[in-house]
Order: sequence, then C-alpha cells, then structure tokens
Amino acid sequence: MKILNKVNFFALVMGGLFGFLMSRAGATTYDYHAKMFLFIDFQLMEVIVTAVIVAMIGVFLLKKLHIHSVATGAEVDFVKKPYQQGLILGAMLFGIGWGMTAACPGTIPAMIAEGKIGAIFTFIGLLMGTMAYGILQTYIHHEHGSK
Amino acid sequence: MEISVWAGWIAGIAIGFFVIAHFWLLGKPAGCSTGYGNLCGLVCKRVKFFRMGEYSDLNNSKLWFLIGIPLGGLVSALTSVDSWHLSFDMGMYDAILPQTYSAKAIWLVFGGMLLGFGARLAGACTTGHALVGGAMLNPPSLLAGVVFFGSALITTHLLFGL
Repeated sequence: MKILNKVNFFALVMGGLFGFLMSRAGATTYDYHAKMFLFIDFQLMEVIVTAVIVAMIGVFLLKKLHIHSVATGAEVDFVKKPYQQGLILGAMLFGIGWGMTAACPGTIPAMIAEGKIGAIFTFIGLLMGTMAYGILQTYIHHEHGSK
Repeated sequence: MEISVWAGWIAGIAIGFFVIAHFWLLGKPAGCSTGYGNLCGLVCKRVKFFRMGEYSDLNNSKLWFLIGIPLGGLVSALTSVDSWHLSFDMGMYDAILPQTYSAKAIWLVFGGMLLGFGARLAGACTTGHALVGGAMLNPPSLLAGVVFFGSALITTHLLFGL
C-alpha cells in the first residue's frame, strides 16, 4: 500500500498552507487571542470574518458550477457537520480550553514548529482529551452496550 | 519568537481562498481536530473508537493535513523578521498563568485536554465549525462557533480579572 497517495499528498500541501496562513494571520501568537477577547485588538476577528465571507462566496460558486475534486474526481461534497448530543457542552469546554491556552487544535502544530514550548504541553493535552473521548465512546458502545 | 503578521483582512482573504481550494482539491470540508483521533489510533491500537467509522483507515487526508501544519508554521517562522528560537514566553498570559515552568506546563496540558475532549464532543473545532461550517451557513456549526467564542471570552475575562 502506498503511504502517500494523491489525496494524502494534497492534504499535506493544504495542511502546510493552513499552518503558514494561521501563523501569518496572528492566530499562533498568544497575545492576539487575549487582545481579541479583552476587546483591545480585533486582528483575529477581522481575519475570521473576512475569511468566512470570502469562503461563503466561494462555496456558493463551487456549488453552482458543480465542481469536481482534483484529487478524487468525484463531485465536491459539501457535507455539513450534524447537530450531535453534547455539542453545546463540548463547545463550552472547548472555549474554556481556548481561553486557557490561547490556542486551537489547528494552530498548535504550527506553534510547536515556531519554537513555542508551551504548545508542546497543549499538544499532549489535546491528545489526552481526544483519547479520553475515544475511550469513553468505546466503553459506552462496545464494552457496556454489547451486553 | 515574534512572528511577522499580515493585515487582518489580507490574511482573512487568503484563508477564505484556502477554504475554497481545500474543497476544490480534496472534495470535502477542511478540518483539524479530527486528525488528532488518527494520532490516538496510531498510538493506542486497543481503543475501538479510533479503529472504526471515520477512523477505519488511519492513513488518510486528516492525518496528512495535520502533518502539514507544522511545516507551514516553520516556513512562517523562518521567514519572519525575528530569528527562530525556542521560548516558553507567553506574552500577556505570563502575568496571569502559574509562575513556575512545571505549573505552567500542567495548566497547558489541562487546557489542551479541554480543547481535545470538547472538540470531539462538539464534533469539530474552530476550523471545522466556525470557519468552514460558518461559510456553509450550517446551523449547528454557527451555534458551536458562538458557544466557542462566548465561552473563551468569559474564560479570558475571568483569567485577566476584568
């Protein structure tokens, strides 16, 4: 089996682009998060509002044109995340983590590459939190529910 | 180190085009937090949750997207005015976070756990819900985005005592 196929190669390149842009946007710099939430500087607010508007127009056009994916050849799937039980509680916990670490899952790997030692600990925590969710789900649906 | 930052609207336009390019190239929405589950599955083979459903093939685009992020971060750091160096400096947060290195580390691990667990419970993180879900005007994503933001806002205000 080829480890790095076409889809994964595109994903790697897009991940690189994402990390670069998050960094240049200021999202990997701790103070921009604090300054936004304390209403001192709206750099990150400007970034996300502009990005959502541009992406919204793009999604609208891609849908109209029935664009096909370069990597898979299939029509682009605009699959939406469904409402799931626990969404609000999960989002609240996430927000507390965001406020505590001034980071998000998408910025942490870039922050580590920038030499930010703190991001290594947040990364370890992220893996532990994700693992805890997986263990809980496995317990609920397999060990416990199968009886 | 200090990262050179673009004007907000320029970075915003670039990220907007990134979201569009991701749809066009990979044929599906961009997301970050799901990929952490791929790493969990690779580290621990015994947890069934990371072996089934969206994790039935761990060597997928979510994993490689996550691997790509630090490469981009490194390019950004190396092309910044300030030179690359390791640092535990956290700017304004140093005034309100625990003062010893070990306590600061534990604080960040705990915050990271909330991010990881919270993202899975909510179904996605800031990228999947607020950015991409927002661009698709997906109601659950808009709700999640508002709660992410409100919760982080309250947390930051409590931490900084304002």
